[in-house]
Amino acid sequence: MSRIGVFICWCGANISYMVDCPKVAKEMYRHPNVIFSTDYRYMCSDPGRDLIMNSIKEYNLDRVVVASCSPRMHEKTFRSFSQAGGVNWYMCEMANIRDQCSWCHSNYDKATQKAIDLVLMAIAKVNKNKPLTKMKAPVTNRAMVVGGGITGIQAAIDLGIAGYETVLVEKTPSIGGKMAMLDKTFPTLDCSACILTPKMVEVAQNENVTMHTYSEIEEVGGYIGNFEVKVRKKARSIDEDECTGCGLCASNCLVKNIAYVDKKRRAIELEPADLEKINNIIKNYTASADNLLAIMQDIQAEYRYIPQDILRYVAERLNIPAAQAYNIATFFSIFSLTPKGENVVNVCLGTACHVKGAPMIMDALERELGIKDGETTKDLKYTLQSVRCLGCCALAPVITVNGVAHGNLKSGDIAGILKQYA
Amino acid sequence: MKIRSMKDLEKIKEEGKRLIYPEKTKITIGMSTCNIATGSENVLKAVEETVKRNNLDVVISKSACMGFCQIEPIMDIIQPGKPRIIYQKLNPLKVSEIIDDLSKGSINTKYAFYKMDIKVKDDSINITSYKDIGFYNKQEKIVLEYCGIIDPESIEEYIATDGYFALHKVLTAASPEQIIENITKSGLRGRGGGGFPAGIKWNTTKRAPGEPKYVVCNADEGDPGAYMDRSLLEGNPHSVLEGMIIGAYAIGSSEGYVYVRTEYPLAVQNINIAISRAKEMGLLGENILGSGFNFDLKVVRGAGAFVCGESTALFASVEGRVGEPRAKYIRSAEKGLWDKPTNLNNVETWANVPLIINRGVKWYTDIGTEGSKGTKIFSLVGKINNTGLVEVSMGATLRQIIYDIGGGIPKGRKFKAVQTGGPSGGCLPEEFLDIPVDFDELTKVGSMMGSGGMIVMDDRTCMVDVAKFFLDFLKDESCGKCVPCREGVVQMHAILTDICNGVGKEEDIEILTDLSLTLKDAALCALGTTAANPVLSTLKHFENEYYEHIRDKKCCAGVCKELVTYAIDSEKCKGCGLCAKDCPQDAITGEKGKAYSLDISKCVKCGVCFEACKFEAVIVK
Repeated sequence: MSRIGVFICWCGANISYMVDCPKVAKEMYRHPNVIFSTDYRYMCSDPGRDLIMNSIKEYNLDRVVVASCSPRMHEKTFRSFSQAGGVNWYMCEMANIRDQCSWCHSNYDKATQKAIDLVLMAIAKVNKNKPLTKMKAPVTNRAMVVGGGITGIQAAIDLGIAGYETVLVEKTPSIGGKMAMLDKTFPTLDCSACILTPKMVEVAQNENVTMHTYSEIEEVGGYIGNFEVKVRKKARSIDEDECTGCGLCASNCLVKNIAYVDKKRRAIELEPADLEKINNIIKNYTASADNLLAIMQDIQAEYRYIPQDILRYVAERLNIPAAQAYNIATFFSIFSLTPKGENVVNVCLGTACHVKGAPMIMDALERELGIKDGETTKDLKYTLQSVRCLGCCALAPVITVNGVAHGNLKSGDIAGILKQYA
Repeated sequence: MKIRSMKDLEKIKEEGKRLIYPEKTKITIGMSTCNIATGSENVLKAVEETVKRNNLDVVISKSACMGFCQIEPIMDIIQPGKPRIIYQKLNPLKVSEIIDDLSKGSINTKYAFYKMDIKVKDDSINITSYKDIGFYNKQEKIVLEYCGIIDPESIEEYIATDGYFALHKVLTAASPEQIIENITKSGLRGRGGGGFPAGIKWNTTKRAPGEPKYVVCNADEGDPGAYMDRSLLEGNPHSVLEGMIIGAYAIGSSEGYVYVRTEYPLAVQNINIAISRAKEMGLLGENILGSGFNFDLKVVRGAGAFVCGESTALFASVEGRVGEPRAKYIRSAEKGLWDKPTNLNNVETWANVPLIINRGVKWYTDIGTEGSKGTKIFSLVGKINNTGLVEVSMGATLRQIIYDIGGGIPKGRKFKAVQTGGPSGGCLPEEFLDIPVDFDELTKVGSMMGSGGMIVMDDRTCMVDVAKFFLDFLKDESCGKCVPCREGVVQMHAILTDICNGVGKEEDIEILTDLSLTLKDAALCALGTTAANPVLSTLKHFENEYYEHIRDKKCCAGVCKELVTYAIDSEKCKGCGLCAKDCPQDAITGEKGKAYSLDISKCVKCGVCFEACKFEAVIVK
C-alpha cells in the first residue's frame, strides 16, 4: 500500500484568504493512503522544504502531493524537495488550488470544498504513479507539420527559423486552408488575406522548410524522436518548377474543384414532409442568393424558427456557403434559430412608445408571462420580444400579438389581452 | 385591359370617379394598420351586419388612414348629393346606431367628427366642416391628399385623382433629359433624411457607366417614431409606383426594387396589389402605355435591421448578404446594387414626382423655403394632444406644428423638447420653437430633418433617459463592422446607464463628449457618424439634467427608477382603491374611502399605480 504525504500551501494570503487550508489538510486523512497531511504558509520556502523532507523521512512516505500554485511555477521545486527527501522525481504531484481555485472564486465555503476535491484528484493520480528514471535517447532533429492551414504554416515557419529541418504536408493543391476562404477574421475584422498571404510566401521561401502539397500521410510509425512517416505525393502531371500557380488549368478543368469538396461532410437528410414544404417555398422564387432573405422569411413564418438542417439545405439549393445563410439568420432580428412560441408578442420600443410608457408595458408583460424580453415560455405558448417601431406611433404604446396590433395601452390592460390568446 | 392612349386613361378616370362617388350611398371604413389597431375590423364587421339587417343597398368600401390616427377607427358615409361625413372613434354599437339612422333616412350627427364639402356643400347639416378642424386646416396636404380618401387597392380610383397622367405626359411628350431638368429645377430633395437633391442624383445615375441601371424605393422606415412611408404605401401605393416608373424612364432603368420593412405587412400587401394591378393595366412591365419603355418592379421585404435603411446596407441585403454598409468613397449612383448604377430614393420622394410633373415646377417651387421646396410629412407623436401624420409646407415653424396643428401638450403639462430626425437627430428645447422647419435650419441648431419623426416630450420625459434610449437602440442596431460604432456606442450606453442609475461621475460628461466626437469623425456610415447626436443635443440643451442625475441623484421627470420613489398623497387620495387593485406587489393597502398607503419596501417602482390613479394622488419624486 502506498504512503502519501499531502502538503497544503497558503501562498501567503493568496490561497488562504479564500480557502480554509487547515480544513483541507485535515480532510485528506479520510483517504486511506494518506499517512500525513499538513498546511504551511509558504511551502516553497526553505522551512517548507525542510517540512517536506523531514516528513518524508519521519513517516516513510513514498508519494507526495503539494497543493499550491501552478505546476508551471513550482513543480520542479517540489519534485526536487521530494527527491532530496528520497522520493522518486515522478512520485510528486501538484494540485493547483490557487490559479484554479482561490483566485477565481468568491465564496469561501464553496472554494474550500473545491480545493478538497482538487487535492483528492491529485492524490488519486499520484496513487497510480510509478517510479521512473531519466535516460537519454538519440533523436532525429527534424520536424514534420501535417496540414498547411494557418496554424501549420506558422508552426513550419517557427521551426524553420529555429534552424530545424521541417517538412510541411498538405493534402490540397495549395496551402492556406480555411483562412484562405475567409474575408475577415474575428473579432477585429482584420483582412484575412493580409495575415495569411505573407505567411504563405514566408513558409515557401524558408530554406529549412520543404513543402509537399497535394500529398497525404499514408503511414506513421516509430516513436517520439524517431518517427517514420510515409507520404504519398499525388500525381499532378505538371512540372512543378515551371508552374507559377496561375490557376488557368484549374479554371479550364472539366472536373474542377474536386479537390476542395469535403466528402466527409454530413449529408443533409430532411424528413419527407419538411423536404416537400421547403421545396414548395423555394419553388416560388428563383433559386439564387438574392432570394435568400425572402425564402428564409417564408421558412421562419412556416416553422416559427429556422431549423439547422433546413438552413443548410437552403444554402445548398441556392448554391451559397452555409456560413452566408447562417450569417443572415443571425444578423436579422426576425430570424430565430430556436423555436418561437405559438403566440408572438411584439412590444414596440420606438421613441413615441418609449416616452409614452412602453418600458412599463414591457415590465407588465414580463411579470404576466414570467419571462424576459426575447424569451419563450417553457410550454412554447408565448414569445416576448421587443421591436423597434411598428409604425403605429400615434397609438403609443403599442404591442402586437401574432401581428394584431393593440394600441393606447396601460399596464393594466395586459392581462386582459393575454387572456384572449390563452 | 391595357391602357394604350389618353383616351383609355380618360375612360378609366371616369370609371374611377364613379367608384369614389357612386350613385348609391357609400360607406368607407379606414383599414390601415393604425385603424386595425384600434378595432376597425370589428367596425367593418358591424357595418356589414347592420347593412344586411336593414336591407340597405349601399356600397361598402375600404380606405386607409387620413392622418389623424387619434380619432380612429374611422368610417365615412357619402350619400349622393350630400357632403362626405367622417365618423370617429367608432365601435360596433356606434356603428349600428349610425347605420340605423341612415336606413331611416336621417344623418347621424352624434358621432360625426367633420364633413368634407368636396362635391357638394350643405350648410344645413350641423357638423363641423373639414376646413374648420385645427388639425387639418393648417396643413398643406399634397402628397397625402388622397390618403384615406381613395381605396388603395383600386387603380381606377387612383387614376380618378389624375394618377398616371404624369406618366402618360412624360412618355409621350418629354425626353428623359427634360424630366431630370424639371426635377432638378423643382428643388426636390430626398425625404429619407439626407436631403440630397433628387435631380442631381438621377442625373449622376443616368450618366454613370454600366448596365443595367436600377431604381430602388427605400421603404425600410426604421426610424422609431416615424411612419409616413407606411401610411403612404398603405394609403396611396400607386403614387409611389408612378414616381418610380417616371424616374426609371428618366434614368434609363428597366428594373427596380421596393424594399419594405417586414414589420409593415399591410404596406407589403398593398404595394404588391398595386404592382399587379398596374401590370394588368399596362402601366408596368413591358411596353408601358404602348411607348416601348419596359420597367419591372420587385418587392423585397426587410428582416428587422435598422441599418438596412442605409443605402449600401440595403443593397447588400437585397443581394442576399448581411446588411453591412460600405465606405462611401464610391457613390451608389455609380456603383450600387450588384455594383451597377443605382438610384435610391425614399417613398415620400418618389410620391412627390408625379405631382411635380402634373402640376408644374412653378407650382412646386412656390411651396416651401429657399433651400427646401415642397412639403414634408411629419409623424407628430408623443406627448401631444393631436397625434397623427401631418403634412406642412417647408418652413412652417415647430410652434405652428406643435401648437396649431398638434393642439399643444396634454393635461396642460409643460413642453420640454421635441425630438426630430430619429436616432440620428436631436432634441430641441422651447427656445427653438420658432425656427422654420426645413433641411438646413434644423441642421443648424443641431438636429436634423430625418425621415420626419417628430416626438414631443413634456416635463415627465427625462432627457438623459431619452439619450440612453437612443443609444440602447443603436447598440442593438449597429451592424458591428466598424470599431467606433461597435465599441463606442456600447461604452456611451454604459455611461448613460450609470448616470440613470445614480452612479454617474462628473467626468462622465467629458468622456461622453469625447466619445461622441470620435464617433462623428471615425464611423463608417451615417448610422455611426450621427449616433452621438441624441447625446450631444441633450448635453447641449439639457446639461443641467445630467448634472442633476450625477450630483443630486435626482430625476425630476420621475423616470429613472433608481432615483425615484413612489408615494401616495393622502390629501389627494380619494380612496378608490384602483391602485391597490392593479399593484402587482400588493404594496398598496388601505380602506375604501380613506387615503391608501404605499409600503416602499415592497414597491418595485413599476408605475402601475401612477397610471391607474385618476386624481394625481400618486407622487413620483
